[in-house]
Amino acid sequence: MTYVMSLFLLGLVLGLVAVSSNPSPYFAALGLVMVAGMGCGVLVSHGGPFLSLVLFLIYLGGMLVVFAYSAALAAEPFPEGWGSRQVGVYMILYGLGVGLVSNMFWEGWYEVSWVPADELDGFTMFRGDIGGVAMMYSLGGGMLVLSAWALLLTLFVVLELTRGLSRGSVRAV
Amino acid sequence: MTPVHFAFSSAFMLGLTGLAFHRTHLLSALLCLEGMMLSLFIALSLWTLQLDSTNFSGAPMLLLAFSACEASAGLALLVAAARTHGTDHLQNLNLLQC
Repeated sequence: MTYVMSLFLLGLVLGLVAVSSNPSPYFAALGLVMVAGMGCGVLVSHGGPFLSLVLFLIYLGGMLVVFAYSAALAAEPFPEGWGSRQVGVYMILYGLGVGLVSNMFWEGWYEVSWVPADELDGFTMFRGDIGGVAMMYSLGGGMLVLSAWALLLTLFVVLELTRGLSRGSVRAV
Repeated sequence: MTPVHFAFSSAFMLGLTGLAFHRTHLLSALLCLEGMMLSLFIALSLWTLQLDSTNFSGAPMLLLAFSACEASAGLALLVAAARTHGTDHLQNLNLLQC
């Protein structure tokens, strides 16, 4: 289990290295999918299946799909992947940076446990995070209403920004 | 720093440097911002799970909701820029010529 956890954490960091080296957005979205998948694995290994499912459904299935088809706006004839020289230099720099900083910390990693010790590991249906999220409907009702209001406001912000016909923020179309 | 904390902290810092040293596309800067929000979601969820404070599980969900607001506003700006200039290249956003 420690090995699986270390693979998930490695995939997380390497995926974000692949995103932040700024290749063409098609490839950066792929890197973000990998980061979200590995992050879900980390959350499941810590005993939070509901938050992991929320991440998969809402983040990958909702937000990243929107980013993926918005990548059509960044169309170029020769998209730069991770093999091009500029992107590759950034990737090597970021990888070396993470390695050098982790050098300061990694002696202690032999002593700690990488995975939590969890009683009733696979045998409960009611995990803590499911009950905790349900609190959003009872005591956290104010924040629920506030976030719903913020989402409604964002809808009108987006509609105003993309109004078109030289009204709003768009001039030509 | 435990390995899990180092992983999402370095993920956040990597996203921040990717956002700071952006190259050509506005969309790749927005994707680095999304990577930062993803690392923050993982950080808040791990706070909940490692410290057994399950009442805090609502916080990563609310973070996801507000991050969706921010992503949609950023994408609307991207669409507006692409409609005005034809592409989302950052070198075209040069009205402020100081």
